[in-house]
Amino acid sequence: MKKIIQYSFVFMLIAIAFSCKKWLSLKPQDGIVKEEFWKTKEQVKASAIGIYASMLDGSTGNYGTVGYIPSLSEQLFVWGECRADNISPATFTSSDDLELINMNTQPTNVNTNWRPFYRTINYCNTLIEKAPEVVNFDNTFTKVQLDNYLSEALTIRALMYFYLVRSFGEAPLKLDATLSDENITPIKKATQEEIINQIIADLKSAEAKAVTTYGDAASDKGRVTVYTVNAILADVYLWAEKYADCVVACDKIINSQKFGLIRGATDNGGIITYNENWFNTLYYNGNSNEGIFELQFDAQRLNPYFNMFSSSISVRRWIAFPEIMDQLFTVDFTNDQNYDIRGDAGSVRAATSTIWKYVGATNTALRTFDQSYAHWFFYRYADILLMKAEALNELGRGSDALSLIYAIRKRANALAATDINPAPSDKIGIQDFILQERSREFCFEGKRWYDALRNAKRNNYERLSILLNMVAQSVPPNLQQSAQAKIKDKNSHYFPIYLYELQTNKLLVQNPFYK
Amino acid sequence: MKKIKLLFVLLLSGYIAVQLPACKKINIRETTTEDVNIVGYLDKRPDSFSLFRQILERTGTASFLNAYGSYTCFAPTNTGVKTYLQKIGAATVEAADINILKDMVRLHLLEDTVYSGSFTDGKLPVITMYGQFLVTAVSFEQGISNYIVNRQAKVLQSNLKVGNGLIHVIDHVLIPATKTIAQQLEENPEYSLFVQALKETGFFSKLNTVDPDTSNRWLSVFAESNKALADSGFTTYASLKGKYSQTGNPSSATDSLNMYVAYHISSGIKFLGDIITVATHVTLLPQEVISIKLIDQNVVINEDEFNGVLEKGILLNRQKSDNAASNGVWHDATAHYMVKFRKPTALFWDVSTFPEIMKLPAYYKRGNYNFTRATEADNLIKDHYWGWGPLAGTNVLSYLYSATSSITNYAVNNDVNMLPMGLPNRPIWWEMKTPPIIKGRYKVWVCYRAQKQSSSSNMLCQVEVNKVLMQRTMNFTENRPTGTDAELEAIGWKRYTENTTNLFASRLVGTIDFTTTQQQIIRITPLTGTQNNNNLDMIHFIPVDDNQVLPRFKPDGTKIFF
Repeated sequence: MKKIIQYSFVFMLIAIAFSCKKWLSLKPQDGIVKEEFWKTKEQVKASAIGIYASMLDGSTGNYGTVGYIPSLSEQLFVWGECRADNISPATFTSSDDLELINMNTQPTNVNTNWRPFYRTINYCNTLIEKAPEVVNFDNTFTKVQLDNYLSEALTIRALMYFYLVRSFGEAPLKLDATLSDENITPIKKATQEEIINQIIADLKSAEAKAVTTYGDAASDKGRVTVYTVNAILADVYLWAEKYADCVVACDKIINSQKFGLIRGATDNGGIITYNENWFNTLYYNGNSNEGIFELQFDAQRLNPYFNMFSSSISVRRWIAFPEIMDQLFTVDFTNDQNYDIRGDAGSVRAATSTIWKYVGATNTALRTFDQSYAHWFFYRYADILLMKAEALNELGRGSDALSLIYAIRKRANALAATDINPAPSDKIGIQDFILQERSREFCFEGKRWYDALRNAKRNNYERLSILLNMVAQSVPPNLQQSAQAKIKDKNSHYFPIYLYELQTNKLLVQNPFYK
Repeated sequence: MKKIKLLFVLLLSGYIAVQLPACKKINIRETTTEDVNIVGYLDKRPDSFSLFRQILERTGTASFLNAYGSYTCFAPTNTGVKTYLQKIGAATVEAADINILKDMVRLHLLEDTVYSGSFTDGKLPVITMYGQFLVTAVSFEQGISNYIVNRQAKVLQSNLKVGNGLIHVIDHVLIPATKTIAQQLEENPEYSLFVQALKETGFFSKLNTVDPDTSNRWLSVFAESNKALADSGFTTYASLKGKYSQTGNPSSATDSLNMYVAYHISSGIKFLGDIITVATHVTLLPQEVISIKLIDQNVVINEDEFNGVLEKGILLNRQKSDNAASNGVWHDATAHYMVKFRKPTALFWDVSTFPEIMKLPAYYKRGNYNFTRATEADNLIKDHYWGWGPLAGTNVLSYLYSATSSITNYAVNNDVNMLPMGLPNRPIWWEMKTPPIIKGRYKVWVCYRAQKQSSSSNMLCQVEVNKVLMQRTMNFTENRPTGTDAELEAIGWKRYTENTTNLFASRLVGTIDFTTTQQQIIRITPLTGTQNNNNLDMIHFIPVDDNQVLPRFKPDGTKIFF
């Protein structure tokens, strides 16, 4: 009897000991762990697409509360427009958004939370670090394919840093992946110059690795091609005041002859005909022949713009500056068939002051909520032409610059009232002309503030007056004088570091303006 | 038995072994927060604030600043306090006059939390415990911008949050204004003529008193310097008096010199940053206002358009303005101005020419356009507003234009404004802001194109002008009766269109006294009935002594006098 018990005990022990293996393993049943990822080229592709997907992600928390984290696509708009003069607050604008307009930004302002940008940067860093290892496991993964994926990650990382450096001036430059909590270390801010140099180096390395086409329009406009790289490079060179390099980058895109302006208006000896499909092709559908890089929202992944702009809801946050038609596009009161196609029903719906580009379906009808998939336009061909014009003007080639500006104006039938007609030798005049034309062409496309700042800061803040005049208009009257005095401090042109980041990363030093 | 005992001992010792380490004292937090209060914050940083801390102790302020509450404290640093002590001639805090210190401390404290987000070009929203407002601005020196308070101190650190409020660190002590507006002006020889006018008209003593009641204390003065007066030809006081003082007694309220001075004073404390947030300000001259506009960056008084003519305004000098005094603030006007006495003039107001529709060239004088308010908070047309109709879809103001439709074919400019009205579903009132109307006594005529939505529709309305109920009602469904002009006028009707159809009717709703020259407010409120087709074409405000029937209007807007 005793023996039986002893043997059965031993048997049970053996049985348990062997079956224990699976039971004790800690691998998740429904996911994949790091050690098993980065083995095949499909996985590399999945993480490359994941980088783009991360830029489409929505916001978290409730708008107007301290816990709100805006989505990246919302921040692209807010950072680029809200301190400038084309927008106004609407009925539901949060106090944080109002602070931006009033030049009263505090480090607690949720709009200064750079988390969405660094999240995407980390996806890029991870791919850059891990994808080269895959070559060792997957024999079908070629060097060319690897380079293509690397070019995408390098370019998006550069683009994200370009937004950060223009918005914050100085920011931590994190170039290695954060794969687990062990990788989290405090990190110092890099200077504007260091970041710009890194961006240029990354883009140059990406340019050599990038594809010219993926074979379908959605990928060509939604993923990084060699033209995307050059578009960003041109913009970075313009910011860094390297004008000859900017012209070279623009020419690479222009000479490819793959892009053109979507026909807007044609002047047949005084009678103007308009392309009825212009808005539909360029903005409603997107991925047109003019697009270079666009965020690919679709019916499965809607953009955040319906809630921000649509006049069909009471809680919209932003409207167009009420005088925008009078001052920016102007109106021909004698002939209603003579109008700037980018004005009423293009960028803005004047009757309701709606920011139309992202919420309009036709001239008069709004998109419904489930149609809210207008793309975000990082770069369009028109941008390339105007960037080239700006660089040419700085290089003293005023007449070449003017012909590019007039090409843009002709496409849209810009009204004569907005033609300031500078002489080819009038550098300042052409700067103003380009800045105004960019405001019309890229109205609400998140470029206005950066355009104004780039022109103001050129040659060691030679034209600070651009910003002074802008805030005189955009800030409420009772804050105007304060806002102007603040804008004279060049640190005020950059956002404060968000309080949470300061508390968690002790090496960060706040922008001295926000004391 | 022994075994049981042993087992018991074993169990007990085991229990103790388990329990022993658990006997540690548990730390219970008895405080709700570890945030320091304002005094605690200063105590922690004696290098910067030991002197101000001493002052708080000496003035007896420290105890309440260390208690629960919500305060804003502008805390001057030690260097700031040292400079201040030198200025008042005290070697140490102990040596200083306690009453001066008490006043000084009270000027640094607000009984509310005011973050730097509320700093404007004007005064802070909350008054200090001393009873004077602090005024903020931003200075720019050597590449750095700073908030400044009372033009006396720079803000070194802002929005330091502590348990019972907020601290803003400042580099100098704030000193309360001790002189009145009158005293400050009198000291300044640049304003000698204006001051003499103040004295002779009796306003000097008003500007020289500090009313203990803070609700009546504050005054704002727009002073004219000798240079401004000289530019208008007044080089001596005698010439100014000679021009205006028609009664020879400037202290009389009916004397024009008295009026001139009264027109330069407004009650309330209004820094430039505060002035420009409101379009008009009442002056001490009864029923006379000054209008304020911000043109680019300039604050301009009385730049207004009357009957299509722009009258240039008077610029306020920013550098010499915003001078705080113990009973208000005074500003410097760069030129001489005087209240304008205008003769009442008729306003024939075509209500469908408002800027919002004129901005839409595809519709203005071309076609119909609907202004739809999506929600009650929406306000699409600045000067046309209506009480939210419970049925959301009825909140549409339609601009109707057609040269051929029978609704607008004879209307002025061939357009009307149409708004549904009436309970239970439609908008509950319709309010409009007129262009500026010169003060005087006017008859009010509402001109409309009568229409019934269905044969039984009725739309009886009352009209209020500046909240004064007009004597007569009007009805958007009622046609003009027949009769001669004289017969019609006697019963409060007229034909205002060139065409004689009785669908276009003008109803006299009453007579109103406008006491102030400004934009007036007219409101139409439905009393009985409800319908969509309330077609408003014009509103006439005609001085009572003028011809009430003529002119009439052609569809192209021209006036005819027959």
